[in-house]
Amino acid sequence: MRGSEHWIHMEFFIQQLINGITLGGVYALIALGYTMVYGIIQLINFAHGEFFAAGGYMGVILISWLASQGLHPYACLALALALSMGYCALLAMAVERLAYKPLREASRLAVLLSALGMSIFLQNGLMLTQGVYDKGYPTEITSGGFEWGLVSVSYMQIFIVGLTATLLVGLNILVFKTRIGRAMRATSQDKVMSALVGINSNRIISITFAIGAGLAAAAGIMVGLYYGSVNYSMGFVPGIKAFAAAVLGGIGNITGALIGGLIIGMVEIFAAGYISGEYKDVFAFIILIGVLYFRPSGIMGENIDDTRV
Amino acid sequence: MANLILDDICVRFGGLQALTDVAFSVGEGEVVGLIGPNGAGKTTVFNVITGVYKASSGTASYDGNVITGLRPYQVLSMGIARTFQNIRLFQNMTALENCMVAQHSRSKSGVVGAILRSPGQMREEARIQEKSQKALEFMGLGDVTDEVASNLPYGHQRRLEIARALASEPQTILLDEPAAGLNPSESMDLMNSIARITELGINVLMVEHDMKVVMGVCSRIVVLDHGVMIAEGVPENIRKNPAVIEAYLGQ
Amino acid sequence: MKRLLALIAALAVMTLVLTGCGEEEKAGKVLRIGTMSPLTGPYAADGNDIRQGAEIAVEVMKEQGGVEGYTDIQLFSQDTACDPKQAVAAANKLINEKVTAVVGAYCSSSTIPSSETLAEENIVMLTPASTSPQVTERGLPYMFRTCGRDDHQAPAAVKFMKDVADVKTLFIVDDKTTYSQGLADGVSIAAKAAGIEVLEHDHVNQGDKDYSAVLTKVKAANPDMFYISLQNSATGALMVIQARRMGINATFMGQDAVYHPNLIEIGKNAAEGMFCTFGAIDKDAPAFKNFLSKYKAIANNEPGAYSAYSFDSTMAYMLAVKAAGSTDPAKVRAELMKLDFVGASKNVVYDEKGDSGSNYTVYQIKDGKFVPYWNSLTGDKY
Ligand SMILES: Nc1ncnc2c1ncn2[C@@H]1O[C@H](COP(=O)(O)OP(=O)(O)O)[C@@H](O)[C@H]1O
Ligand SMILES: [Mg+2]
Repeated sequence: MRGSEHWIHMEFFIQQLINGITLGGVYALIALGYTMVYGIIQLINFAHGEFFAAGGYMGVILISWLASQGLHPYACLALALALSMGYCALLAMAVERLAYKPLREASRLAVLLSALGMSIFLQNGLMLTQGVYDKGYPTEITSGGFEWGLVSVSYMQIFIVGLTATLLVGLNILVFKTRIGRAMRATSQDKVMSALVGINSNRIISITFAIGAGLAAAAGIMVGLYYGSVNYSMGFVPGIKAFAAAVLGGIGNITGALIGGLIIGMVEIFAAGYISGEYKDVFAFIILIGVLYFRPSGIMGENIDDTRV
Repeated sequence: MANLILDDICVRFGGLQALTDVAFSVGEGEVVGLIGPNGAGKTTVFNVITGVYKASSGTASYDGNVITGLRPYQVLSMGIARTFQNIRLFQNMTALENCMVAQHSRSKSGVVGAILRSPGQMREEARIQEKSQKALEFMGLGDVTDEVASNLPYGHQRRLEIARALASEPQTILLDEPAAGLNPSESMDLMNSIARITELGINVLMVEHDMKVVMGVCSRIVVLDHGVMIAEGVPENIRKNPAVIEAYLGQ
Repeated sequence: MKRLLALIAALAVMTLVLTGCGEEEKAGKVLRIGTMSPLTGPYAADGNDIRQGAEIAVEVMKEQGGVEGYTDIQLFSQDTACDPKQAVAAANKLINEKVTAVVGAYCSSSTIPSSETLAEENIVMLTPASTSPQVTERGLPYMFRTCGRDDHQAPAAVKFMKDVADVKTLFIVDDKTTYSQGLADGVSIAAKAAGIEVLEHDHVNQGDKDYSAVLTKVKAANPDMFYISLQNSATGALMVIQARRMGINATFMGQDAVYHPNLIEIGKNAAEGMFCTFGAIDKDAPAFKNFLSKYKAIANNEPGAYSAYSFDSTMAYMLAVKAAGSTDPAKVRAELMKLDFVGASKNVVYDEKGDSGSNYTVYQIKDGKFVPYWNSLTGDKY
């Protein structure tokens, strides 16, 4: 009897671990956008959560439309994913062009306020065009999964973790193995010098926004599919959590965003699982404050200046 | 026929007139020295040419095209590269990566091709790497390619600055005090390197305090004082020019 | 010359203003009614339903010839965002608009403070949706409630669990609002008193989308019934989707806030079989059908959970003004107390406290529809 009791605890733990990895992966994808943009222009892009929401909406609109055209569900999903990422990338480039680029020489506070304004503008735009009601996702596409006793892993969770990993690998290749990535790293370290070696920093900044927003859009679709619906204000809470994850990992650092996202996701899930759901955010932020107290530049941030993107 | 021509360049910083009617040129196969006391405006000349600062009046042109008003990256793609007086390497990139960054304007693959690792992109990447490797070897840095820039000794960092500028395949290179902080033997090596750069058909405009280096490699010298050109000519004449002597002694 | 021109311009503007006022006087009185509900934020869906319900009532009244003595009926809508401070600010704005009655708010935590502000000006407040007992327990003379009360809802839910669903073990989750936690606490107390074992009463945060941690606990506890007290139907849908996906086999039960077409639309198969308590609305009654067709025609969408209650609250006020022949609050109150009309939601009769009775019915989601299942007043199944 005691053995089986022990086994239930073990299964409970494993299940929570899986839950934590899934949630952490979503946070990590959003956190990357914060961290990359911060790395390159030292801006906390408050509007970033809105790209996540816009991606979620675009996803459900496209999936429904493509499905009505008779496409195979997986093809719908893949196409919707690619198109939404592209759409949000363009949206982010437009936002950057309109709200941040004109303020390149202005004080950081001015840009920050512009970002806040952009966030409100985008959120309300989403509300006006898409309505205040939640929009349901066609969850049938990804129903089903595996089950061992108490432990259940849905295909959706596998999909989320797999896609997150793929995107992260892709991003890593991009940043460390390509000319665009080198230009991004150079621009984040020294804008003047990078211009003098032939890099159009405005273009690189634009691309950085686009990549971050594309990742957020992917996260938005995954959240919609996994949790079942999207909502115009859905960007806010995950936005804050992902921002916390980026800071925890060391803002500006890509690996840091991944680690930070996983930690925040895990802490939340384990606090909710072993203590109570009402304190999970408290624990997540206690960890954040604790880490920042001992390591002000975050876990991976050795020195804010030279660990950017 | 690469020809850098400055025509009556003036630069003001608020109340300070940093450059007044500066006019000279750098022609095919030349090594031009730009000298003058500290604060004379030498770096400012570089900054105006490369588009970092705007000229208040006057124009700079290159190969017959006006370059004042262009952005720095556009100036570079016209074929003008530069180094900095205080080393400005990308500190947490390797020596090789520092040079590869400089190939940016000479390559073109985009985000999608890069992630998908298309054959075209792979070929381009290989080419970038090869050229960067060559630039490093040219400056004698062939054995530290994978060393992170900040870990390199000072003399190596100075040479890496030049290697990076060369990696962008320039026709004209602007060197801002390349010998600053080098010991005499390192200065000698540098002089040799500069001579070899000219052999590649690259024109040089160089700011330098070390008179041995200046007199040794420059075919022509321009002297600035308080933003005004006080002399221009071949090294022997400049050495004897009373205005130049006074400017340096008065310092 | 310039001064003269300025003077003439000033006079012209003043005349415009004065004639503007004069015209309104001449044209007669306007009945001004306010609505307060969350039009932004997570509860915007319910908030819009409330505003639309009031709009439809005004349209219907106008079609029927309006209120005698008033040339027009105007509606002023304010957003509370389910935030107590903003609700008080909204009440003040409506006072400035000179409304004589307010239909709202949605969250009890908004209704309670804003009602105090409105009470200072003797403005009638009729809530279509705030079910916290406190709303009508404070002795405010002009406070009315057209929906039910949580201290009736909790016992009704537990009675159903005990008598009908034969529940032995219960897991409760709420999202910590005055309403949702208050109700969940009520269910917990009533369930223990009825001999049902409450395995755990856990909480989630508003705005969460991921409930996997809490749901893993539910799965491990394996209760007969999983009681979901959330402030919002869409989050309710998310919870049932995730719960079913995780393989939780318990019977689900929700309350009046998750009772909304959204729950079915988003929750789809996962919501099938779920029970919800909600004030009984007889959807076959002519009054409801009438309301439904008007609503669809004008609002161009389906009514939400509280649309009918909002419609009835607005209607009740306009009928009382009609009967009183004035907006004098004392006279209107007297007429409201006498009122007995067949509304869209129920037969509306207010008692001394301003309540209109709770007739909680347990609905079950069947084939994508809320179907009446059990009546708490009679104790009978439908
Ligand atoms: N960005 C700037 N703003 C204001 N003054 C500047 C700026 N850059 C250079 N100056 C001033 O212009 C003058 C010339 O500077 P510089 O060109 O750096 O001299 P140097 O000949 O030593 O390289 C100096 O007085 C310097 O202080
Ligand atoms: Mg200088």
